[in-house]
Amino acid sequence: MTRPTKLAAAALALLAALCLPLGLDHQGYAIRVATLVFLFGAMAQSWNVVGGLANQMSLGHAAFFGIGAYTSTLLLIHAGLSPWLGMLAGGVLGGLAAALISLPTMRLSGHYFALATLAFGEVMRVVANSWAGLTGGPVGLSVPFAPDSLALFNFKSTVPHYYIALAALCLVTAIFVWIRNSALGYRLRAVRENVDAAEVVGVDTARTKLVAAVISGVLMAMTGTLYAQLNFFFDPDTVFGAAPISIRVALIAIVGGVGTAIGPIVGALVIIPLEEAANLFLSSQVAGLSGFAYGLILIAVILVQPHGLAAIGRRFQRKSKGAS
Amino acid sequence: MADRTIGTGRTTRRVALAGMGGAVAAPALLRSAWAAEAVNVGVAVPLSGANAQFGVNSRNGIELVADQVNAAGGIKALGGAKINLVIADSTSTPTSAANVAQRMITQNRVSAILGAFASSLTIAISEVTERRDVPLLTMSFADQVTGRGFKNVFQVVAKASAIGAAQFDGTLAIAKAAGQTLERVAIMYEDTAYGTAQAVGLRDGAKKAGVQLVMDDAYPLGITDVTPLINKLRASGAQAVFPVSYLSDSLQIIRVMRQQGITIPAIGGAAGYVIPDFEKGLGEFAEGVLSISPANYDLAPELTDAFRKRYGYFMVHEALEHAVCMDVLVQAIEKAGKADPASVRNALAGGRFEGGWTKAMTGGAVQFDAAGLNTLSVPVMVQWRQKELVTVWPDQFAKGKAVWKS
Amino acid sequence: MLALIQALADGVMIGGVYAVISIGLTLVFGVMGIVNFAQAEFLMLGMFAAWFLWAYVGLDPLLAAPIAFVLVGGLGMLTQELLLRRVMHAPPVAQIFLTVGLLIVLENGALLVFGSDYRSVSTPYQAQALKLGPIFVSVPYLLAFVASAISGLALWFFLRASPYGRAMRATAQDPMAARLSGIDADAMRRLAFGLGVGLTAFGGAVILPYLTVSPTVGGQFVVLMFTVVVIGGLGSIAGAVVGGLFVGIVQSLSGLVFPIQLQNLVLFCVFIAVLALRPEGLLGARR
Repeated sequence: MTRPTKLAAAALALLAALCLPLGLDHQGYAIRVATLVFLFGAMAQSWNVVGGLANQMSLGHAAFFGIGAYTSTLLLIHAGLSPWLGMLAGGVLGGLAAALISLPTMRLSGHYFALATLAFGEVMRVVANSWAGLTGGPVGLSVPFAPDSLALFNFKSTVPHYYIALAALCLVTAIFVWIRNSALGYRLRAVRENVDAAEVVGVDTARTKLVAAVISGVLMAMTGTLYAQLNFFFDPDTVFGAAPISIRVALIAIVGGVGTAIGPIVGALVIIPLEEAANLFLSSQVAGLSGFAYGLILIAVILVQPHGLAAIGRRFQRKSKGAS
Repeated sequence: MADRTIGTGRTTRRVALAGMGGAVAAPALLRSAWAAEAVNVGVAVPLSGANAQFGVNSRNGIELVADQVNAAGGIKALGGAKINLVIADSTSTPTSAANVAQRMITQNRVSAILGAFASSLTIAISEVTERRDVPLLTMSFADQVTGRGFKNVFQVVAKASAIGAAQFDGTLAIAKAAGQTLERVAIMYEDTAYGTAQAVGLRDGAKKAGVQLVMDDAYPLGITDVTPLINKLRASGAQAVFPVSYLSDSLQIIRVMRQQGITIPAIGGAAGYVIPDFEKGLGEFAEGVLSISPANYDLAPELTDAFRKRYGYFMVHEALEHAVCMDVLVQAIEKAGKADPASVRNALAGGRFEGGWTKAMTGGAVQFDAAGLNTLSVPVMVQWRQKELVTVWPDQFAKGKAVWKS
Repeated sequence: MLALIQALADGVMIGGVYAVISIGLTLVFGVMGIVNFAQAEFLMLGMFAAWFLWAYVGLDPLLAAPIAFVLVGGLGMLTQELLLRRVMHAPPVAQIFLTVGLLIVLENGALLVFGSDYRSVSTPYQAQALKLGPIFVSVPYLLAFVASAISGLALWFFLRASPYGRAMRATAQDPMAARLSGIDADAMRRLAFGLGVGLTAFGGAVILPYLTVSPTVGGQFVVLMFTVVVIGGLGSIAGAVVGGLFVGIVQSLSGLVFPIQLQNLVLFCVFIAVLALRPEGLLGARR
């Protein structure tokens, strides 16, 4: 696709997304799933900054996500601070945490980086469970029930959440594209292709990786606030969990296509509805059937398309170019 | 097939609009779910993950009652309307549980939701039901369930803090009856919502009774080696221990205590201590183990035997309490004469329900207060006797005398 | 002092078992370069195999362990042939997430086939302990430790003395050179994966006397196994033994100093520190 057609397609998709709630029950199931698609798309896109551009496969992004959820919610409960401001505070802390974990893991790559970040996520989960004085412990936190208010980010209807999640997805995607095309993006690509060569041509590889990690951490933490306000309740095992957050987010990006702007969006559009469909059609049958089917489909997708679903589009393009 | 009902035409069209993959249910089968012939009731329980067994037990209890009601001619006030259970896996993550609840409300037009065993799932679902004004009946016992001022949540059992306190008080009473005054006790609990909430009750009970806590330790869920805990217990000089855990840990704890020759009584905190697998796993070592339980099947064998006959094991407490939820819901619908969520909710609020399965509860009835808590339910102490759980405390419910070996 | 000796004794025994279940993971990584997230699910399958052999044939789990090894090892070779072989040249992310998919399939498949019951065996030695002065030595722990040590030695012997073992080590060290000297790399990977998950299943069987099996039991071990192999050095078998003992002892000793709730926190901090300071592990050779 040429650049103008790409932009036109994106604009059309955005327009469709903007109009979608008109046809849906405002507190319904469909709009909730659509909201989760955008939210998880935004999370996967945040992950993509580190996982895709720097090719550092993090399995600990739940650490930042949880920090965001807890920061804004605790500030709301104890100081009455609007979650919008709490989201900024959470972003700052998420960025700090990302810098903190970057220092010891900077030199690692591949599997080692994945395992180190996995352990970091688990550390945060244990801390949140144990430090009950701050977090409320394993019992979890409820966002206080309040009347609808934009200033306090509290809505009974799902529609505002839908648009906020959509905006978040667009924003994070724009940041991703901007980074990719910026000097930082070129440096990241240099680091990804060959660290030593990048050093030789004068790229400060440590700094480059650190900046990418911090941006990714900030964005991920901010999505944590969106999640808390949408779901109204969370506990450490949910927001700091490896399976429900870290691995799922990476999975979405990978199924869609790592390192591409469209990948996390495609991944979220596939994975979240797939999970729901498996639950909807199979979970009332025999226990375990829905998970079994979901896992099989996942394996099939990875076997057929190890570079992600976005690669299908690229192959198609190449073919059509070859034909013309 | 989808959940056991098909959504209404409207929602199906919307789902199709949203491009939600397989949800495009066969339009030929569409019918209004609120028609007199069926009342949809949502059952959201964990059918996969670590709590799957408890979810299956819960579902069994609900199915038993629903089938009984349907066999007896359905809901009379609605012209013999049948109950149609919409069963779905709440999984073990609160987000998915909330999704499931949302789906039941919009797609299946349920009159009420029952579930979801684990407190974290129940609380997540209650955030959805509260905003949609759909009643939620639960046996999850975390204090927060009815502690947040919600109008649409109904808790049929005592709260966790009350259960923890009863676990302590009952033990004290049983020991006293056997001539022992407890001075030093130990508590160990898994660091989950259930474990920590119940530990609070235990701690309060000990404080009130002036009993010294010589050990008060949380341990990580899924612990693979409990020896450090038991070493600590042995060194503490406790006269009794209160372990609060699910099954895997409970078996390890009892076995390692036996290995080290620790014979002080262990008084379990429900969950892993009151299911058939506990006895199956421990065999003779299960004999005489005490536990608190929010309810027990031997209080109403005339009702719970039907469960044993159908499923082949005794009616575990979560099945029993979910059965009570189902029965109370049916009574509320009869009372309201309508099955829409708002009418059902109004019939439940502050209501008193007697007869049927409510007789199996300790209060012999169910009475909801303004917050939705059943004020009549008190926990009981049970003891393993020859593969069965016998209620031994409080005295007015006891079916046998507690055996206390100090 | 006494508490310290007791904790050390417990730690060594439990650590020996951790070593054996983790050797499989490190073997798979060494030969195939894949971090297998589904490894702990094979532990679960080993436990189930041993449970069924105990329940229906009356075999003690320790005796059932070799059978579990063979059964699950065979399943592992099949898995390698049908699934993993196809992603050997795919990006690492695809490899990892294929094993995540496998994890989900195996856990839910077990739930489908075996149901959600918690199953445990009862054996005569289950509630016994040897008393060496004031120190308790749990009999099921001791037996599991001995069985683990025997299987570890057998593996060591296999890798050193048999032609297959030597070929496998050669493949792990330098796949290209191995292929040039006529070793069938596909066959080696199949063997390594079968052997790796078989050993983990063996470990699952020997711990059954003191644990309980259910479809989700793998979740209790997955991070623990990663910790063991990383501390020892990914791909290093001797490292897995050291890592296993180290983790067992740290878990046991940390209970004396810190609240038991923080047991895993201590472990994960050591894990990150080892990765940061010595990514090749305590014993791993620098690559």
